[in-house]
Amino acid sequence: MINDSKILVIIPAYNEKDSIERTLADLLAFKEEKRFRNLDICVINDGSEDNTATIVKGMNVILVDLPVNLGIGGAVQTGYKYAYTYGYDLAIQFDADGQHRSSELEKIINPVLHNEWDMCIGGRFVEKTSYRGSLQRRLGIYYFEKIIQLLTGVRVTDATSGFRCINKKVIKLFAKDYPKDYPEPEVIMLLNKRGLKIKEVSVEMSSREMGKSSITPFRSIYYMLKVSLSILIRKIEKGES
Amino acid sequence: MIYYVSFGIVLLLFLALIAFLRKGIIETKYSLIWIFIFVVMAILSLSQKLLEKISSLMGVYYAPSILFLFGILFLIILVFDLTRRVSKLYKLLYTLIQDYAILKSELERERKR
Repeated sequence: MINDSKILVIIPAYNEKDSIERTLADLLAFKEEKRFRNLDICVINDGSEDNTATIVKGMNVILVDLPVNLGIGGAVQTGYKYAYTYGYDLAIQFDADGQHRSSELEKIINPVLHNEWDMCIGGRFVEKTSYRGSLQRRLGIYYFEKIIQLLTGVRVTDATSGFRCINKKVIKLFAKDYPKDYPEPEVIMLLNKRGLKIKEVSVEMSSREMGKSSITPFRSIYYMLKVSLSILIRKIEKGES
Repeated sequence: MIYYVSFGIVLLLFLALIAFLRKGIIETKYSLIWIFIFVVMAILSLSQKLLEKISSLMGVYYAPSILFLFGILFLIILVFDLTRRVSKLYKLLYTLIQDYAILKSELERERKR
């Protein structure tokens, strides 16, 4: 039963004092309403300078407080390590800024629930959704769709989406090895190399409420080059399958 | 002759870099600057004409000196960048050590209760 699975919702948070309370309240309401008995919410405080941690401590969720900022890769991996340590069946990555919606969670949980798939990504572009990103962003995402398809044969229309659910096998893998910079596109190659199955489903997301994206226009090309190189290196990586 | 030796060395180092990246011995982000250096040095080594053009522009008589110049400049930039990275790691480690000690002390306090 979907409601009995031991699920960990991992929320990496860096200076999210303006949105974290709302995001957590929304998730707690979802848990209550859908009666997910064994669902835990785990906020990874990535060395926030604001009072994010204080806000989180006042709510009925788990807080993992990193002493220094590690970045998105390091923070999320900490969540996967936690999930592995405490034997969770499924782990979900969920943004603190309000872009991800709890109403869409079941869409990414169901494909992975019975190990039909190893990872399920919630994409904004599989079908037409209400999401409107900047042209530069969408070009970048399209670029990744093509390069990943070229190198793996897997078609992922929204490779940068952090809204994803993984099973126990992948939790164990990520706890040991997870990319430190811009991990989302790279892990698709990581999983593909080990013959693990990735599914993408269509989800709705909100546009960023508060705060700014960490990818500025100037850094876009550098970011795309770096991630492309990382994906290539993962492809030729010496690994056990 | 020096051009071929130079290119040969750059090629060998490039292959070594790929091997290390494959095994995970070197982090991908550190390799970007190395790849840039190897590509530039390889181009300079292969094109005698280009090197002679640059050397005449700079008023240098012996063209291969430019290979040395670029090599040394790149090394300086690289070492400077490494110094920056080491400083950052030092700060991280320092914080980690101190926070660990405080955590241990909190754990001991809990045990004594």
